[in-house]
Amino acid sequence: MKSSNQVDLSIDFCGVTFKNPFLLSSSPVSNSAEMVEAAYEAGWAGVAFKTLNSDRIPIIHPSPRMNSYHYGHKKLVGLQNVEQISDRPLKDNLVDFLYLKKKYPDRVLISSIMGFSNAEWEYLAKVSEDNGADMLELNFSCPHMCVEGTGHHVGKAFDLIEKFTSTVKNAVSIPVLAKMTPNITDMTEPALYAKRGGADGIAAINTVSGISEVGLNDLVPKPNVFGIGAISGTSGPAIKPIGLRFIAEMAQCEELNLPLSGMGGIETWIDALEYLLLGAGTIQVTTGIIHYGYRIVEDMIEGLSDFMVEKGIKSVSELVGKANVNLKTTDHFELDRQGITQYNLDACIGCGQCVIICDDAAGQALEWDEKERRPRLIEDKCLSCMICSFVCPVDGLITFKEMPKDWNRRETRTMDQSLEKKLNFMPYKDINVL
Amino acid sequence: MKRNRSARTLPPTENDDWLQPKYRGEFTVRDFNAFNTMKKGFDFSQAVAEADRCLLCHDAPCSKGCPADTKPGEFIRKLQLKNITGAIRTIKTNNILGGACGVLCPTERLCEEACSAMLKSKEMPQGQDRAIRIGEIQRFLVEYSWERGYQVLKKPEQNRGKVAVVGSGPGGLSCAAELAQAGYLVTIFEARPEPGGVIRYGVAPFRFDENFLKKELADIEALGVEFVCNHRIEGEKGAEKLLENGFGAVFIAPGLWKAGELKPGQAPIEGLLSSVDYLESLRDGRLEQTAATFEGKTVAVIGGGAVAMDCADTAARIGAKDVYVVYRRSYLQMPAEEEELQSALETGIHFLLLNQPLDYLTTADNKISGMKIVRTRLGETDDSGRRTPVEIAGSEWNLDVDIVIEAIGNQAEPESPNWYPGVKTDGKHLIQADPETGETTVKGIFAGGDIVRGPSLVVNAVRDGKVAAQAIQQYLNQ
Repeated sequence: MKSSNQVDLSIDFCGVTFKNPFLLSSSPVSNSAEMVEAAYEAGWAGVAFKTLNSDRIPIIHPSPRMNSYHYGHKKLVGLQNVEQISDRPLKDNLVDFLYLKKKYPDRVLISSIMGFSNAEWEYLAKVSEDNGADMLELNFSCPHMCVEGTGHHVGKAFDLIEKFTSTVKNAVSIPVLAKMTPNITDMTEPALYAKRGGADGIAAINTVSGISEVGLNDLVPKPNVFGIGAISGTSGPAIKPIGLRFIAEMAQCEELNLPLSGMGGIETWIDALEYLLLGAGTIQVTTGIIHYGYRIVEDMIEGLSDFMVEKGIKSVSELVGKANVNLKTTDHFELDRQGITQYNLDACIGCGQCVIICDDAAGQALEWDEKERRPRLIEDKCLSCMICSFVCPVDGLITFKEMPKDWNRRETRTMDQSLEKKLNFMPYKDINVL
Repeated sequence: MKRNRSARTLPPTENDDWLQPKYRGEFTVRDFNAFNTMKKGFDFSQAVAEADRCLLCHDAPCSKGCPADTKPGEFIRKLQLKNITGAIRTIKTNNILGGACGVLCPTERLCEEACSAMLKSKEMPQGQDRAIRIGEIQRFLVEYSWERGYQVLKKPEQNRGKVAVVGSGPGGLSCAAELAQAGYLVTIFEARPEPGGVIRYGVAPFRFDENFLKKELADIEALGVEFVCNHRIEGEKGAEKLLENGFGAVFIAPGLWKAGELKPGQAPIEGLLSSVDYLESLRDGRLEQTAATFEGKTVAVIGGGAVAMDCADTAARIGAKDVYVVYRRSYLQMPAEEEELQSALETGIHFLLLNQPLDYLTTADNKISGMKIVRTRLGETDDSGRRTPVEIAGSEWNLDVDIVIEAIGNQAEPESPNWYPGVKTDGKHLIQADPETGETTVKGIFAGGDIVRGPSLVVNAVRDGKVAAQAIQQYLNQ
């Protein structure tokens, strides 16, 4: 791996050393040693192998398995899948474990497992450890399991999380991660159950339950499996905000205080860094690879290295959770400080999108000079929502500036003040006094 | 097979093959299939990607730049928001020849000229990006409507009276479609065997092909417009008599079909062709016959406009050995669009600029053997805003050629004023019509397109047809 900045990106996570924080998550991209080997060669530090199957029941994948959620011409802003656990015989997967550990002893092999009973969880944990797994990831979150007590049903039945985690912990000595479903309101609660069961860390998030598209001619939600659609797992950039939120909440939970492996919509070093800054110690990727291939890790490594050199950061561990001190609830905002947008009209190209959306979705704070094809800001009407800057095609043309303390924003106008005398209304606070 | 994932080889530096024809607009001589077929346009994803680049401007300078008011700002927004049938409806409602204009318009100086996507600002007056390829998107949407069978326009009941249209070129088609949608029964009279006018008989088929034209014409026929082909409106008061024969109004748009001559009144010479006759011979079933006479020959095309480029480009493709464009001014003064000039250059046409043809040299049996030419230099700027050619005394020379095509500019047929003697025409036999309404000096007779403007763009003729259709309705409602 050639990089402009040779930076040590290694990190200790649950007592295991990773040469960088970038892992494949348990999914089709980690289905076999052949694939994982190619990923290792590209630079990935480890893998959460595709969830093992104990051969108790045959695994048959629905066909087709996935659907792309497009935004305009941009493909795969989201991905929906009805993937199952590994459909390979357990023996083959374990032979692949041995191969990977023999050839790549410095890479971390995490065995993802899912059982239906205590005995099955214990069995899968043991065979994983006995065949070279460095770590386990308990899949409490696969969104495609219909049987109670499996997959995401475990992740929503907190006592089962504790029970199965404890079973596994008693059976093996390698570290154990519990992988959580985001399809709940608060992830810290099930994470605490996992901790009580002995989990060494938490992995999150699994896919968000969703529907990406409905066929307009056949009326079948997609992927259309011979006339039937299903609510199933959505992943990719569209769900990154949800993943970041769950990671940050767990990182801020002092009672939990466990290492976190973050995932959900990561494609670039910036996405990865955001997960690190909000508390993830390692990050995992699938959909980014489904979109671009294993090669994206090269850009993650190079981008993160350059960032660390620029900021004088020596170790990835210094970054972990660093942004959480600035993450507070909305009641902490200083509302007596206000600002507005400012426009560098020398860079303006005159498209006027800012005017349209300020009129229709904000404070009507922009006038349009038809002849010059330029916006003109009425400062005391600007709401500082910043939406104009989101649609502006020129970088840095519209920026935020703080206004002096004595500056006031104009009230939103009423259309016909004369109607005030016809008001049927008493202020709420007056009613309260009565 | 295993991919080599770590292969990092430098590109080869030897065997530099940039002189190979594949980098130079390669084509196959006498490949009539390719000759008769346009290049493929955008597919769905390409169109969506290009539409997504659009900034959806507040004031849509693109829409202001379209003479026919095709409203690109609106149809591109509709495509971006996946309202595809609506996008097609916007095009076809405003410009019944939306497909032809998408292909043939010099968009860079019309709708695309002020496109904000070029990112021009005070800081960066030259811009930082290219305009949205509006013509390509427009073409895609129209082709997509054909592919999907979307009939976005509806044929209304046609009981508001009869209107005659003379000429089935862009102006006539546009006027007819507009009136048909307003409830008039429209008959188009066309002198030639097939409708289309200049976009059938006056353009190289690889720039605008038969298949595309047929589909666009079918959209007009679906509106109930009646086509009467092989029916030339001529003779004393030929056009004016239509008013007496049950038509409430007449729209005259026959186009310009008399090719300008180097020496007016020139007696026929074997091997001396007019651009009009030559281009028509490529489209009326005589293609292989014309190609046979051109094979291995040296051809000179006189002129520097779009028609001259089409003549030169086609001559090379049907098998001429060498093709010269002989033009009396220089490159920057050529009236052809840049794209057309580039196409001709890439086809390998030799540009003899600053050369004024004087006369033809013939063999004893009256065949062209060469051209007498004088070299010129550029002088003062003339009324057209271009520098004039000034002959250099004593610089005459002879160019050996087998075939000459005169593409000096199309004119009105000299006898045309007789067809409508009440209609005022000018010294060039062009009709004098009100540019805002198409009204002529005869009540009920309107005119538009090249017969009014002189040689101009398809989109301008479409505009004239629309404007006249409005005026005709007002006239008939009086």
